[in-house]
Amino acid sequence: MSIASLTKAWQPMSYGFLDASAKRELRRKMLKAIAVPGCQMPYASREVPMARGWGTGGLQVTLTLLKPSSVVKVIDQGADDSVNAASIRSFLSKVSGAAETWDTLAASLIQSRHRIPEERLHAGQILVLQVPNPEPLRPVEPNMSVARQMHADADYGRLWLILYEQIVRSGRIMEGAAYPSVVNGRHVMTPSPIPRWDVPKLHMAQHLTFLSAGREKRLYAVPPFTKVEPLVFSDVPFKVEDHGALTCHRSGVSGFYMNEIPQDNGGSAFELSDSHLGIKAIRKAEGEADRIGATWYRNGQLA
Amino acid sequence: MAYVATRGGARAIDQAERLYRAELGQIDASRVDAVRRALPMLIDRVMGEASLYEPDLAALALAQAGGDLYEAVLLLRAWRTTQPRLAIAEPVRQEQLITHRRISAAFKDIPGGQILGPTLDYAHRLLATDVLQGRPFTPAPVTPAATAAPAYQPSLAAWQKAQGLVADPLRADVAPDAIPDLTREPLLFPAKRAHTLQSLARADTGGMLTLGYAAMRGYGNAHPTVNELRLAEAEVRVTHPRGTVFSAGRVKVSQAEVTSKGKSGQLSLGFCATLGWNEVKVISGATLDLNAAAAPKGSPVEEEFFLYHTEPVEASGFCIHFKLPHYVTFQSSLDALRGAKASAAPQSEQVPS
Repeated sequence: MSIASLTKAWQPMSYGFLDASAKRELRRKMLKAIAVPGCQMPYASREVPMARGWGTGGLQVTLTLLKPSSVVKVIDQGADDSVNAASIRSFLSKVSGAAETWDTLAASLIQSRHRIPEERLHAGQILVLQVPNPEPLRPVEPNMSVARQMHADADYGRLWLILYEQIVRSGRIMEGAAYPSVVNGRHVMTPSPIPRWDVPKLHMAQHLTFLSAGREKRLYAVPPFTKVEPLVFSDVPFKVEDHGALTCHRSGVSGFYMNEIPQDNGGSAFELSDSHLGIKAIRKAEGEADRIGATWYRNGQLA
Repeated sequence: MAYVATRGGARAIDQAERLYRAELGQIDASRVDAVRRALPMLIDRVMGEASLYEPDLAALALAQAGGDLYEAVLLLRAWRTTQPRLAIAEPVRQEQLITHRRISAAFKDIPGGQILGPTLDYAHRLLATDVLQGRPFTPAPVTPAATAAPAYQPSLAAWQKAQGLVADPLRADVAPDAIPDLTREPLLFPAKRAHTLQSLARADTGGMLTLGYAAMRGYGNAHPTVNELRLAEAEVRVTHPRGTVFSAGRVKVSQAEVTSKGKSGQLSLGFCATLGWNEVKVISGATLDLNAAAAPKGSPVEEEFFLYHTEPVEASGFCIHFKLPHYVTFQSSLDALRGAKASAAPQSEQVPS
């Protein structure tokens, strides 16, 4: 027996970029995050070859989950071909050999910034959301160690107070994206800056969602079939964005979350935020055999 | 054109990177070598913030980033994090530092003496414009002192401890491999002392100066007196698998200890050390450390505040991330604004004129 037979050949980079010790720590923290849904788990968060704030938290989780047989989709603002999504996707496939896709149905692993695809995710798929700020309490308590104590005490009164003040001042809840939500009846989490439109997609979903903030070194999870309930008052129901009646000027599809494009004439045009759903719809209209999966919303209403 | 390319993002980012790199031109070993030899202070600063002591790699990172410090530090950190850790060096003790410069502002003279060493502190800051006219600037030769300064210097705090001026807390001996490592664990608060010092050592020089200066101007309680400032070289002593302890080389280090009159009737100390020679950084860092003890939550001299906000890779990354498209979140806010406006409209008619 020689040493050479016991060791692997030297490689300039580990499989999936992260070294084994980094992946082991992440796996442990990811399992913990699944065990305590919505609870933020601190992790070391290694530097990766991208700037912090550009998806490094999502990237570390994705790199840990990737295997050569993975099929990976990356979106930013709903678009597969947005510049940073393209950059992340090419990095992922380069360091792992995983296949790339734009199709939500074909992906085994989806890394996303600010959106959840409109087609329903199914059991076995994993969604990784990039998180800039993991702390829903930040607006009321910028100090992280104090906020951690508040989570331990389920001390969320000041979050309700913010919502109440918004109703008093503006006549409605003014939270935009990143709507604070209770997970599994215990921890309030920020679902990352996804629009309110996407929050109900996390509730009792079939798929597993990881949310990871690389810069802030925190990750948390929404396991399959877990309750995710936006903070609301019993007499003021949760409202998603008023996009149900808008129509995409490119694909003619309506009833989904839209991007508003200001027009020279002073008005606005709208286009599907989930860009690949738009591509599929156009292809289908042109007679191509493209399969559009079941969607969370039908005719602009949550199905 | 549209930077959120609806189509063609992959090609766009490829060409944008080429455009940037075309400006920098070819990078070869001679350029890296020139950067390393011409800019030792910059190399030191980058190595400190990257927490990676390798002048050649630091010079390469600077050349590759075209001198963008934050990019250079990120390049080195991303490289460093994947490297195996072959051994853990023995702790370096002050009295074992090969000291080039060591001064104290607290006393006129100190045991071991004030050693000015290399410094521009008393130089007239005149730009050598002659160089641009073709007349090179040649530094005047150094006249060696009649008696060389001793290589090793005692610690001033040790004298102060003996005098009962400084508290001498019980020391717990921790095995080197049991020292908490910031690069392998998250920074949580209240921070472990090792994490605090490691975090200060890696901190952004400019950010540390900003917050340290705020403390010095009066946003901290304690006015610092430089107890001891050192520029030195430290032996990196590691244990060979056979058990022999040997020096694997030397690294330049700087450290500052600042002091002020504490509430307990003794002197309090603040400390900061970093890889490379960087006086502004260690004096600022030590001042923040000095002020941290009694700092209220959320003040700029509170540990959580200054350690989180002086992390160069995190701070710079988050700052530039605002260039990324945010139109989904913006759209969501617009929806709330328009909704509020629509529901407010009928109410405004009821307001008596």
